[in-house]
Amino acid sequence: MKSARFKTPFVASSWIALAWLLYPPVGHTAGSSIPHGTLELIAENQWITIGHTCYLGLHFQLEKGWHIYWINPGDSGQPPTVTWQLPPGLSAGPIEWPTPLRLGTPSIVDFGYEDAVTLVVPVHADTSLPAQHQAQLGAEIRVLVCREVCIPGKTQVSLTLPVKAQPPAEDMRTRKRFASARRELPRPAPRNWIFGVSDGKDSFVLSANVGSQIRNAKFFPLTESQIDNSAPQTVQSLATGFRLTLRKSDRLLKAIGRLKGVLVVSDKDAYLVDVPVGIAERKQQDR
Amino acid sequence: MRHSTLSSMLAAAMICAAPLMVAAAKVGQAAPDFTAKTSTGKTVRLNDYRGNYIVLEWHNNGCPYVGKHYNGGNMQRLQKQWTGKNVVWFTIISSAPGKQGYVTASEENAYLAKMQAAPTAALLDPSGEIGHLYDAKTSPQMVVINQQGVVIYDGAIDDKPTTDVSDIAGAINYVNAALEQAMAGKQVETPTTRPYGCSVKYPDSTH
Repeated sequence: MKSARFKTPFVASSWIALAWLLYPPVGHTAGSSIPHGTLELIAENQWITIGHTCYLGLHFQLEKGWHIYWINPGDSGQPPTVTWQLPPGLSAGPIEWPTPLRLGTPSIVDFGYEDAVTLVVPVHADTSLPAQHQAQLGAEIRVLVCREVCIPGKTQVSLTLPVKAQPPAEDMRTRKRFASARRELPRPAPRNWIFGVSDGKDSFVLSANVGSQIRNAKFFPLTESQIDNSAPQTVQSLATGFRLTLRKSDRLLKAIGRLKGVLVVSDKDAYLVDVPVGIAERKQQDR
Repeated sequence: MRHSTLSSMLAAAMICAAPLMVAAAKVGQAAPDFTAKTSTGKTVRLNDYRGNYIVLEWHNNGCPYVGKHYNGGNMQRLQKQWTGKNVVWFTIISSAPGKQGYVTASEENAYLAKMQAAPTAALLDPSGEIGHLYDAKTSPQMVVINQQGVVIYDGAIDDKPTTDVSDIAGAINYVNAALEQAMAGKQVETPTTRPYGCSVKYPDSTH
């Protein structure tokens, strides 16, 4: 077949536009509809590298005022659930959840996200995976989207990515989204920070020695029904850190061995903490 | 200001604040008494039913989690099954006027008829007073009270926190379990769970 002769720039750009529609660029797809928003499956890299872990993102974009829920949704609501449809040799790890917002009213407190959020997911490519031009990655997502009412949604997202032996290469089109998502992820606490949790009759007290005075801290429990979400978390500021009183949930009937969650310090820094309960912390000197 | 004036102001503040600090109903403790208007215009008092097992079912007809249990007929089956065994079943609507789930008495009666629901009565709680008394967070939320007036279960209707009707069949129904175990003289194995559903639409509800 004779190659087309482009007589004008307009015709050339039309052909390019048509080509874009027929062959969508790999690593990037249009969003699927969810109630009051969209969901996109994005990849951090341009291809999957055999034997490596690459990161995918479930990017939710929500209409103003609507929210979805964190892994522990709080007093009401449910987090999104993901059922992966991956080719053999690829396996998805657990979702990395960005630090949530505290939502709701004084009596009903939930944890979740407004506007936009990217859930980051590691996907490991087995060394046995053969190089492929296009691997089809898919997921079925169930999500509850709420404002003053809740609307459940179910949608399918998909992405095609090449599989190569070559080292990973960043996809510049998704770079901003992943950078933003990573900024929102809670980090492990600094190694020199010392935590303890004392087990009282009605409350846990989370104490932290961080080397400087802290006046503001908030704790988001990873597990439901341990902490009373609507009870105020009172902070006692100390020269070397703080003590945070966390009222126990009425639903907590048995002792717990560890308290896990996200600790937000001074309204800006979020840390993942996992502290044994009831074991005396190392003695501190309050200066 | 004089010390005695300050003390009486503090005392007054504490009395005013006290209702907000009353602990809500807890498993193993006495179910707080209340009176309520039913959708048929009667007034009922919880303590009048001492001697019966009682189920309290928090309800919002717009919530998809409630819809899951009503559209498939699950809630109605439970109501018929247990009221048939002398259990008193109160459906409670704690939605404030203007919020999702709020119903007038006649709207609720129409809904009950349409759904072929069979509670002992539907209780209208638009001020949310009963909801707050029981610390109801979601709809549905289920409370089971024994014949001695003690709360023996408080939480989710079952162990599948989804909006899918297909998840009902395989689920563990905590209301059934609590009633069966208690009626057999046994300890209730699962006395409390986190209830799943939409937030109860109290007057201050925003989400």
